[in-house]
Amino acid sequence: MQFRALLLDAYRQLSAAKLFWVTFGISILVVISYGSIGFNEQGISVLFGMWEIESVELREGSPWARGLYIGIFSSFLVNIWLAWIATVLALISTCSIFPEFVHSGSIELTISKPIGRLKLFFSKYLVSLLFVVLQVAVFCIGIFICVGLRIGEWNPMIFSAIPIVATFFSYLFCICVLVGILTRSGITALLITGVFWMMLWSIQTSEAVLHRFVIEQKVDIERFNEGIENSESELIKIQEVSAEDFRIPKLEKRIETFKEDLIESQEVLDTLTQWHTPTSWVLAISPKNSQTIGLLDRWLSDPDGFDIGAIMNGDMRAFEGEEVEEFDRTTRGARDRETMRRMRKEYESNSLWYVVGTSLLFEGFILGIASIYFCRKDF
Amino acid sequence: MHALRGVSLEVMDGEIFGLLGPNGAGKSTLVKILMTVIHATKVSGAMLGKPIGDRLTLEDVGYLPEHHRFPYYLTGNQVLHHYGALAKVTRNDRNARASKLLNRLGLSGWENKKVGTYSKGMLQRLGIAQSLMNDPKLLILDEPTDGVDPVGRREIRNLLAELREEGRAVLLNSHLLSELEMVCDRVAIMVKGEVTMQGTIDSLTKDSKRYEITILGSIPDWATACCDEIQNNTMIIHGDDPVAIQPTLDRLRADNTTIISVKPVRENLEDLFMRAVDNKDSPGAIQ
Repeated sequence: MQFRALLLDAYRQLSAAKLFWVTFGISILVVISYGSIGFNEQGISVLFGMWEIESVELREGSPWARGLYIGIFSSFLVNIWLAWIATVLALISTCSIFPEFVHSGSIELTISKPIGRLKLFFSKYLVSLLFVVLQVAVFCIGIFICVGLRIGEWNPMIFSAIPIVATFFSYLFCICVLVGILTRSGITALLITGVFWMMLWSIQTSEAVLHRFVIEQKVDIERFNEGIENSESELIKIQEVSAEDFRIPKLEKRIETFKEDLIESQEVLDTLTQWHTPTSWVLAISPKNSQTIGLLDRWLSDPDGFDIGAIMNGDMRAFEGEEVEEFDRTTRGARDRETMRRMRKEYESNSLWYVVGTSLLFEGFILGIASIYFCRKDF
Repeated sequence: MHALRGVSLEVMDGEIFGLLGPNGAGKSTLVKILMTVIHATKVSGAMLGKPIGDRLTLEDVGYLPEHHRFPYYLTGNQVLHHYGALAKVTRNDRNARASKLLNRLGLSGWENKKVGTYSKGMLQRLGIAQSLMNDPKLLILDEPTDGVDPVGRREIRNLLAELREEGRAVLLNSHLLSELEMVCDRVAIMVKGEVTMQGTIDSLTKDSKRYEITILGSIPDWATACCDEIQNNTMIIHGDDPVAIQPTLDRLRADNTTIISVKPVRENLEDLFMRAVDNKDSPGAIQ
């Protein structure tokens, strides 16, 4: 009964805020825009047929049409709209919930009721996530209908965006709650949460960049080792035939260059690892926003191998549906593709426990501090 | 530093108990400790038969905090339902009580209006209604008439009297001494975190009862012997026994002195309060 009262109160508080309805309106516009994209026998149509693009690949019933449509949702609408713009709006809307809750004159009315402070705190916290849950739920229903009508796929996994985005939001909201309770100021809570978010972004970006460099060096080392191995076996073969062959000095020079490059790459790798290891430790104990949102990409991945993320990274071979398992060492582009492929593979191999579990542990730690403060505070 | 020390109070069923004291005396702190809003370093005692601080006891306690703030986005009716639900009142009881209380507090017609549109006095009345939603055995009201107009104050006084008749205990914390005097059965005066006086207003003012005899002209010489004080043309005889002043009146008559008035006088609550606050040697005063 008490939880229901708090839930109802949270809904009333949100629905009284204009920003809630503004965000809601924008969400619906985004869904309508998404729904305006369709496929026919000629190709793709945008804005309900106002603009048509002829395409052999992207036409009704093709696997690429499915990949593109789902990819727009999981890579753009979730990553840009839900994970950035809607989250910022949600933080603005909800940053004052706890400061107002603990405001003098208001908190006395609530904590003087027969409800434990810990229960009250966590109930209030959970119901405060209602903003995001409601917004994302409505958004997902719209997307579910659009996907069903446009490509004939009634995919319930779309609704996994609700817990994912709510969890993602809660990593930030816990900071907002802690600061809000300590300072009783919504603006301060919002600003500190913004700074924290930027900090997380910096950590994640630093780790990703360092990780990329590390993999690049590893790929180079493999390339150099293989180059040495191939050149040496070629050299042996040639020497068996003739010790005076004109290709021998050239091959020896090549082996020498490979060895020098190998030593250089190994040194760079050692230096990079020194930086990457502590950064990855910091990331391990921090909320992993991007990877949490990335879960949706994983869960909604195209069975036919269409990967809009890879295409956006310039990997058109993914668009062509080719398997890129074998490492083509002949071009620099191949090296970059291989790096990206390995990075992606490594991130995707991160378990749900690592991505969400460790992030929730961090959230639990922050909420623990906030709840202890709330329970012991004399109002 | 102690906000409160050795405070000992007893509030009976069917009694309105007034708690008064100057600003910073610790009245609100005491009330907040009872309502678990503040954690006392050490506290012993019982409220409704259970140890102070027991959260379940609060199901039977109604509380109106000073300067309370209701969520602006709720209507009067929603406020009562929200706080009623938090106090574990069932939906049926909430429905029955909300309209009854709004009516009783003179807020009918306003139940569906947002509290942001309420006047200060209306908010105060809504606060009292909120405190009664759980049908409490003990009602703790912190400055309930703050911001309420004289008509509203009278209505609240009448309501408190009705609550007393219903057998509820009411702990009233107020600065308005005249209000307290009109409605309280017993009072306690707190100064610097301690209770300096406690009892019925009658018993606390008993020693201050006196008769003031005002005459025309100057006080005769013999009068200094039979009265306790003389102020201009007024003779003051301490005590509340009317028989004791008869010989003095007889003698004044015998002297053909014109008696202007004979008044039985006792301290009012304000005098008592001022005495308690000013009395630095009072037993409870923290030096």
